[in-house]
Amino acid sequence: MIELQDVWKEYGNGTAALSGVSVRIKQGEFVYVVGPSGAGKSTFIKLMYREERPTKGHIFVGGFNIERLRERQIPLMRRTIGVVFQDYKLLQKLTVWENVAFALEVIEASRRTIHRRVEEVLDLVGLSEKAGMNPRELSGGEQQRVGVARALVNKPSVIIADEPTGNLDPDNSWGILKLFERVNDRGTTIVMATHNRELVNATHKRVIAIEGGQIVRDQERGDYGYED
Amino acid sequence: MRIRTVGRHTREGFKNLFRNGWMTFAAVSAVAVTLFILGLSIALSLNIQNVSLNIENQLQVNADVSDSVTAKELPALGKELAHLPGVRSITFVSKADALQKMKKILQGNASMFNGLGNPLPNEYVLQAANPEMTSGLAKLVQHVKGIQNVQYGQSFIGKLLAVTAAVRDGAIVLIGLLLVMGIFLISNTIKITIFARRREIEIMKLVGATDGFIRGPFFVEGTLMGLFGAAIPAFVLYELYRWMFLNVTLFPPFSLLPTAYVASRVLWVLILCGVFIGAWGSIVSMRRFLRV
Repeated sequence: MIELQDVWKEYGNGTAALSGVSVRIKQGEFVYVVGPSGAGKSTFIKLMYREERPTKGHIFVGGFNIERLRERQIPLMRRTIGVVFQDYKLLQKLTVWENVAFALEVIEASRRTIHRRVEEVLDLVGLSEKAGMNPRELSGGEQQRVGVARALVNKPSVIIADEPTGNLDPDNSWGILKLFERVNDRGTTIVMATHNRELVNATHKRVIAIEGGQIVRDQERGDYGYED
Repeated sequence: MRIRTVGRHTREGFKNLFRNGWMTFAAVSAVAVTLFILGLSIALSLNIQNVSLNIENQLQVNADVSDSVTAKELPALGKELAHLPGVRSITFVSKADALQKMKKILQGNASMFNGLGNPLPNEYVLQAANPEMTSGLAKLVQHVKGIQNVQYGQSFIGKLLAVTAAVRDGAIVLIGLLLVMGIFLISNTIKITIFARRREIEIMKLVGATDGFIRGPFFVEGTLMGLFGAAIPAFVLYELYRWMFLNVTLFPPFSLLPTAYVASRVLWVLILCGVFIGAWGSIVSMRRFLRV
């Protein structure tokens, strides 16, 4: 499903973010990516949806060979994955409904499909009542649920989340995690970079720890492992 | 691209105009101001050209016929003059007509001609095919047998032609400069409006929108801004010119061209420039934000 083979990433200024990372994530897995700040977690995540390109190595996501993608194919690849961001990345001028529908309009779905799918995911994340509101009228937790709904709306086979609970209080963090678990139960792969020790320790999922640009630990039912 | 998508781009383009109210206002104003100045310059230069053309068209060669030429010989002389190279038109003014005209000009003092008979000569008035050929034509006319005297504003012509040419060239340079300034101003304004929306573009890219799909609404929006930006000065200039045409009295050769004529030359230029600048400016300015 997702495979990194000896992936290296160096930024223009000479900083090495990842040094020879190899990992394999199967369809339907739930994986936490943990590690101290600056360890390379975000780079690891960004490589998967091709916001960054590897300096060396191979990356496969779904059927796509990421580093060989042509410009034109990038949008098609991104449609097969849902990305959730720490800062939600919602369009402030659009309503909740429009923000979610946006991901479907982009792939030129029919109006009927858009209506049906948006209703479904808003119901799933519990925001049907707030469909007409603007993101700035919502709490942080609610905004992130919109972000999750947008990531889910075109039924991606994998959800990639970069610190999705980073800006949320514990209650809302749990809410988001519960959502991810429900989605994971339906067979969607989840890769989630996080600093949230409570969540990781309470759920006993696979944990990949990155330090200094390398994978230092990969446990099947792991824990957070850092004292913060 | 599907028809539904075109519909969506159009709808979104329209909505964006209002969602980004102040930015739209800034861009439309920039387009409007530039095109107003452009339209004004074109209207002005059309009129300057017209005046200089009027003046040039009044350039003529007056050829006095010698009294030794009899009335019978006149038609042959007329034919000979008409066949000279570069003649556009030729008219005959007879001694009698000339005297009549002179008397009209002198009015009460016309009696001074009494008893003098008619001292005025028969005359041919020639116009050259183009104003620059006037002096050359005059020289040819001088050598025709039966012509005793030729007048054509010798010293005046050269200077006049130089002035009208300079005015025409000046107007073209001025319009060129204005266009360059305008495009610079507008593309900067559009760049600012799009910079404010780079996040929006980034998100579109991250959810898998193609570049073409992202450009769509911006293209519609830019075109509409250009269209509004052109419509405002078009309307203002039209009304302003019409008012001037109706209320400002000038005498030939300094007459204003009719409103409809000027409008037919200026309005479509403004609309086309507006649409082009708006659409092109949007697309070019957003190009670098598409690299996510």
